Amino acid sequence: MSLRLGCDVGGTFTDFLLHDTDTGEITTLKVPTTPAAPEEGVMEGLATLSQQKPGLMSDLTALIHGTTLVINAILERKGAETALIATEGFPDILETRREIRYDIYDIRQEFPAPLVPRRRRREVTERILADGSVETPLDEQQVLSVLRDLIDDGVTSVAVCLIHAYANPAHEQAIARLVREHNLPLDVSLSSDVLPEIQEFERTATTAINAYVRPKVNVYLGRMEEGLARDGYARPLFLMQSGGGVIAAPAARAAPVRLAESGPVGGALAARTLAETAGYRDAVAFDMGGTTAKTCLIADGEMPVTRAYEVDRVHRFKKGSGTPIAVPTVDLIEIGAGGGSFASVDAFGLIRIGPESAAADPGPACYGRGGMRATVTDANVLLGYLNPADFLAGAMQLDVKAAEEAIARDVGTPMGLTPLEAAAAIIEVVNENMAQAARMYVTERGGDLEKAAMVAFGGGGPLHAHQVARKLGVREILIPEAAGVFSALGFLAAAPAYEVARSRPMRLEDVTPELLNETFAPLAAEADAIVSQAAPGAAIIHKRIAEMRYVGQGHQLRVPLDALDRASIAKAFAETYSAAYGYSYDDLEPEIVTLRLSAVADQPTAPVTGDTAVTDGGETTREAWDPTTGQMATHRVLPFSAVSDVITGPALLSQPGAMVLIGKGARAERKAGGWLALTLEDNT
Amino acid sequence: MSEPLDGLRFQVLWSRLISVADEIATTLVKTAFSLIVRDNHDYACALYDSRGVMLAQSTQCTPGQAGSTPSVMRDMLNVYPPETLNDGDVLICNDPWIGAGHAPDVFIATPIFHKGVLAGFACTCAHHVDMGGRLGATDARDVYEEGVIIPVSKLIVEGEQNDELFRLITRNVRTPEKVMGDLRAQISANHVGAEGIRRMMDEFDLTTLTDLSNAVSERSEQALRSAIATLPNGTVSHEVLHEITDDDGQRLKLALRLELIDGTVKLDFTGTSPQVAKPINAVLNITRAYCVFPFIATLCPDLPMNAGAFRPIEIDVPEGTVLNPTYPAPGMYRSLLSYFTVEVIMGALQKLAPEKVMAPSGTYPLWIQKFAGTRDDGREFVTHFNAQGGQGAFHDRDGVTAVVFPGNIASTSVELFEYETPMLVRKRALTPDSGGPGRHRGGLGQETVLETRAPMPIRTALSGGRFHHPASGMEGGSQGSKGEIRINDGAPFPHSDRADLVTGDRVTLRQPGGGGFGPASERDPASVDADLREGYITAAAATSDYAVAVDTVTGRVDMDATRALRAAK
Repeated sequence: MSLRLGCDVGGTFTDFLLHDTDTGEITTLKVPTTPAAPEEGVMEGLATLSQQKPGLMSDLTALIHGTTLVINAILERKGAETALIATEGFPDILETRREIRYDIYDIRQEFPAPLVPRRRRREVTERILADGSVETPLDEQQVLSVLRDLIDDGVTSVAVCLIHAYANPAHEQAIARLVREHNLPLDVSLSSDVLPEIQEFERTATTAINAYVRPKVNVYLGRMEEGLARDGYARPLFLMQSGGGVIAAPAARAAPVRLAESGPVGGALAARTLAETAGYRDAVAFDMGGTTAKTCLIADGEMPVTRAYEVDRVHRFKKGSGTPIAVPTVDLIEIGAGGGSFASVDAFGLIRIGPESAAADPGPACYGRGGMRATVTDANVLLGYLNPADFLAGAMQLDVKAAEEAIARDVGTPMGLTPLEAAAAIIEVVNENMAQAARMYVTERGGDLEKAAMVAFGGGGPLHAHQVARKLGVREILIPEAAGVFSALGFLAAAPAYEVARSRPMRLEDVTPELLNETFAPLAAEADAIVSQAAPGAAIIHKRIAEMRYVGQGHQLRVPLDALDRASIAKAFAETYSAAYGYSYDDLEPEIVTLRLSAVADQPTAPVTGDTAVTDGGETTREAWDPTTGQMATHRVLPFSAVSDVITGPALLSQPGAMVLIGKGARAERKAGGWLALTLEDNT
Repeated sequence: MSEPLDGLRFQVLWSRLISVADEIATTLVKTAFSLIVRDNHDYACALYDSRGVMLAQSTQCTPGQAGSTPSVMRDMLNVYPPETLNDGDVLICNDPWIGAGHAPDVFIATPIFHKGVLAGFACTCAHHVDMGGRLGATDARDVYEEGVIIPVSKLIVEGEQNDELFRLITRNVRTPEKVMGDLRAQISANHVGAEGIRRMMDEFDLTTLTDLSNAVSERSEQALRSAIATLPNGTVSHEVLHEITDDDGQRLKLALRLELIDGTVKLDFTGTSPQVAKPINAVLNITRAYCVFPFIATLCPDLPMNAGAFRPIEIDVPEGTVLNPTYPAPGMYRSLLSYFTVEVIMGALQKLAPEKVMAPSGTYPLWIQKFAGTRDDGREFVTHFNAQGGQGAFHDRDGVTAVVFPGNIASTSVELFEYETPMLVRKRALTPDSGGPGRHRGGLGQETVLETRAPMPIRTALSGGRFHHPASGMEGGSQGSKGEIRINDGAPFPHSDRADLVTGDRVTLRQPGGGGFGPASERDPASVDADLREGYITAAAATSDYAVAVDTVTGRVDMDATRALRAAK
């Protein structure tokens, strides 16, 4: 028997999803998150599951964990007392950033406060050149005196980021050695370990974040490992990384900066698996939750990975307003269009949705907890899509009258619409917003929506998917059985994997296979050691990637390298460049900036679809809005699990924590594995 | 469809228009060669109705070019009236007086035909890598030195390329394959926009864009007028003297009379200096851009840009001045002057609505350093080093430190610069005390030291400003630090200039700080203490500028002694 457990600690709830790979049985559990000590909520949930399944902890083959601990520590500024050691002459890299403004027209724009204040950004005498040679040796006496000063100032964690340390880590390593030799009470993060890549701002920012969160993550994972061992779990604790692979806890404790986006990645991974099951290599993951909607494009079965990821944005939905974390991260966009997003009428007389949203408490007006402003959820209630008597599996009774009043006041009256028309308009606008954002994201990445299926999940995804897919021209929507806890399911689909990189700038004409192997060999050793921790004995597959550009350009492209000779690299770069920009240049010289190696354990991941037995009907009907006629229409209403073969719209299917809308003219078919394939009507 | 839902239909159409304009920009960025387009977003994309009235502009664009978008299409239609245009035609123009004030900014416009009828236009402007002329002509005396000018012409005629014009351009520019590549990128981007408009017209069953155009312009115009109407009515004057001098050695003057009346802004630049034989003259389109920018940026940064967004701001600039020069005045480096249009408007607006404005900024003008030479391995290099000063303060907060404004280009990575050039960056750090003291402090400037290690000489063009006249303070705030460029221990440069460097030479650049807002003696002592603790100011400056008492033992502000000190004044 093989039992795998995914555990996703979110801001409000901790989700568990247990999968028995032999029977296909899936068990889910939601418990409240315990923000002060999140491990307590996890252990509590495990105890509840163990009661249901005696012997669970010793039978468990894998526990895969995703956490918001890292991201919350940054956002709430609750990390360690952190200092930064920089090369003499460069104390202000964190503060001068890239100087560029993220909003052309906003004269009052602000930037996130540097994670390390200026008084704790200290310089040391040393200098390494771009080729890795030492121009000025490190002044070790000065280093010791700086470190002791910092300890006196209360510092417990130090980020070290010296100029060109990616080319030669000797001085950074010497600083770590001094801390060890003198038993200084400091946690040390070296930029040459965290992100050995050229460009000092991105490297410094990423290393500073690592130093800022590491003491906290260390304590948290330490306690969790202890608790698990006490309860009889003997396997490694696995952590989900932002880039889509899992690693064992010791590796995660060394580089916690790689865990920042572990939650949302789970959903994208699960979407890829479901799309593959359905025979699609291309998929648009569409995840709509309480405060945001997220979209991710999976092209040709590959997770999109970027290093242009940022956290701590001053404006959550404005690119460039945050601090870069340049570690591999699954590339998804987030827009302010969730169930709790506020609807209002702006200065132009237009309906505006979000970006502000009602938090879980007080929540939308219909929650009846004192929320006064109209939200997307209120519109869905008014339009009959959500059943006021049976929300969150009956856990909450919704106040339709409060929803109607809020919509009339915030949108209906200012626009001269009845509450019902206003609600329909709110839904049309939020769907249009999501479709436009998704179309722009796909255009930027050169994707092809015509080949893709949409995978809809999250509390609101399956309810809005039909109209969003129609606007995008996507013909088929895949809806999983447990759409509300789909991210945790994705953890189970993730393979042990680790990506490492080192900048080694060189013109293509200087490249030789020997030179590349010189860099790739240690990268492979480093990545293999980490993957082997998570997958002892498994064969490991390597992917070699060069980040390349034409000489003088400012951006690099990720070029997969199958062979290391110059001609093959030139060809691979030309192909990647053409795919991204339409054409490539014969007369310009390419160069390599950074070499990356991704190691993935070659072990089969169990299929993650469940197959809950078809339940009995309980079918009713409800009046709900039909956008094709602009009127209310009778919809069939039944549990998701009661669909035995094919159902045609209009219909509403309920899941615990999610609602599926099958619009008029669409048809949904139940597939082996318990998910639905929803085909859109023709001629729309 | 019922009457009320027409409002929704309008909303969806409007957001679709902006989305199509953004899709043009995305395609341009993806397909252009020019790094200036890709990294610096030095472009603007717009959609027009069949009359040449602007419907929408891309969200990302450069403020300077945005100012020419409302008029450029009508100017093109004066040369090629609608009846002379056919499906498959593409127009080109880089005339500085029709376009964006210098030859590298090339406009490409594509008529959009829908069901055989001219429905509108897609237009892109992109800054090209080269348009001929003298390289780095920082001392050009007329526009002929600044590149080839292409009057409004058909680049493509009913799908067939105009070979004569292609040959003419190819023969007159450096790196013609890149210039042609960028022109083709603009053509494809326009094509994507035309397809988007046709798809929208089909989906919503539209036969014309005119009604939609009138409606969006009216909304944007009304929104901006309402925002302007929140400011008090009144008429004020203000002048800014630039440190660049005219042909007689007198400092250039920007003179403004600003009138606010019930949602309309009238800007009269009578008294501004006559145009000069230096490449800093800013054509009317550029001046218009920086006249509209401060109002959008301070009052409603989210305003969708279209023809209506420009209507509430009426500008009157006498012909033959540096802000409305006549042919053939040179203007390649117009940004050295035009950024100060923002300063003179802010200075005038301060007299009516001080809570809206920013103090004079250390970010005017832009600092860009060019280096060219040969590396140790024999390879040639040409590269830039960008680093900027500090922004001015506001009535309620400090200015941003080291940021680019109102243009938008990123700073240079020290590590990439050292990889590409035989030079070493010895220092790049904020300059303490460079932010103008005030109740709210100006943003800090910075100091960069570059050292050459190449055996071969390196040619440089070093440009910046505020060498003699720093950014002044506002409402009793004090001035920021001056800018400075020097080589080794030599005298500071009197103005931007070229120089040759040999091994071991050190170039020191001090980008200026922004002006402060309000009297420094009113700055919260806790903020002074924080500045002191973080090293943004020195103890000496705290004592002399901010009227605080500094404890000589702790090096921190003594709160009690400060209260006593300030009370005694």
